[in-house]
Amino acid sequence: MTWLDRQSFLGEESNTVLETRKIAIIGLCGGGSHIVQQLAHIGFRNFVVIDPQRVDETNLNRLVGMTREDAKRKKPTPKVDIAERVIRSVRHEPFVHKVMDLWQTAGDILKSCDVIVGCLDSVRAKDELDAFCHRFMIPYIDIGMDVHKTADGYLIAGQVVLSSPDTPCLRCLGIVTEDALKKEGQKYGQAGGQPQVVWPNGVLASSAVGLVMQLLLPWHSTTTDSAYLEYDGNKHVMVPSNRLAIAARHPCKHYPPNERGDPSFDVRQLKISRKTTGPQSNMLAKIIAFVSCRLCH
Amino acid sequence: MKARIKLPIKMLAEMRADLHRPHPFAYERVGFITAGACAYSDGALLLARTYHPVDDEDYIPDKTVGVKIGSGAFRKTLQRSYRPPAAILHVHSHGGRGLPNFSGVDVRSAREFVPSLFGAVPRMPHGIIVLSGDSASGLLWFGPDKAEEYAFEFIGVGASYIKFGERP
Repeated sequence: MTWLDRQSFLGEESNTVLETRKIAIIGLCGGGSHIVQQLAHIGFRNFVVIDPQRVDETNLNRLVGMTREDAKRKKPTPKVDIAERVIRSVRHEPFVHKVMDLWQTAGDILKSCDVIVGCLDSVRAKDELDAFCHRFMIPYIDIGMDVHKTADGYLIAGQVVLSSPDTPCLRCLGIVTEDALKKEGQKYGQAGGQPQVVWPNGVLASSAVGLVMQLLLPWHSTTTDSAYLEYDGNKHVMVPSNRLAIAARHPCKHYPPNERGDPSFDVRQLKISRKTTGPQSNMLAKIIAFVSCRLCH
Repeated sequence: MKARIKLPIKMLAEMRADLHRPHPFAYERVGFITAGACAYSDGALLLARTYHPVDDEDYIPDKTVGVKIGSGAFRKTLQRSYRPPAAILHVHSHGGRGLPNFSGVDVRSAREFVPSLFGAVPRMPHGIIVLSGDSASGLLWFGPDKAEEYAFEFIGVGASYIKFGERP
């Protein structure tokens, strides 16, 4: 008997897949912490966890695996360290690649991932990550939630999206719009964070993990390479969005197949670039990310 | 260096179906994939963009080989691959199951025509792929004067995400 016996319906090859597939989780505060925990319990071994921040006390209401002590330390615990701690508490000898920085600095390791799950608040960040995933043909799962003021209280809403090559992207689905980017840019730096609570994050994260599993270890024949699930946290339902069916009628015009790959790739420089330009490109990504942040301000 | 080839599952199914269509006189069909590329942790990654069957009129009757294609097929492929620069992968199928092997004719003819592709698109790798019903093999050239290397593995992206055709 092994610890994975109860999920043998995932197939004879499931242990090999769990041992060898690499999954990145970007944004580890809310939904990302649930996803890390669930993937570790499922038995995945290779993780890339990315978050530039350390915890603070306000994260304790939703960050799975965080303790009071993490926030009380003179130097509070990095969120990537909590993710690693959660994984190691479940999974024997995992490979956890931690990036305590912006995801844009981790392009090389992200290119080698089999699935990327983004739990990012920023619309711009979602957009950039979706573009990256389409360029390098990586299935991208995005989750997000928000709380809206209504006439009779509040509405908790959210979404889970699976975007794959040749399927509608976040722009096709109306999650990333020029208007949303503009509004976000205007709000940037204002006091107060977006409302976040643990239970909707858990629902969205579980659905995201379900999508990861049906991609990598399909247990039925009607799997899909694109999904848009809308969450109504007041009615406690998750339903497929009509937007996906509408968007899927036309090829994605934002990320055409001809844009796949690194536009600066040159096979004649392949060995040279691996030895000498890796750190430079890493630094360049940091500079671009920094300038982008300043522009948003 | 390890080279991987990533392609949409739908394209894979489309290619298998297309390559199994009978031709008026050729014994088998061939096509071309265009692909982007990027450096990868331990080598290179080729990212399939489009698949183009060779047009019927571009086959040349030749009973000494299973299939022979003319300059028109290569000209059309080079036109598609020039801008943006794309890797060119000649593809055909041997059918059957399991890891397919290239025939001697496959390798000899590839050694003749693949290096010439670098004249038109020097910055990208090029090569040949042979499919089976459930796997594939690839031979890739990373320069006109360099020896070919087997693709390390294929990655199919789509409604299920699969890896196949792994070579040690």
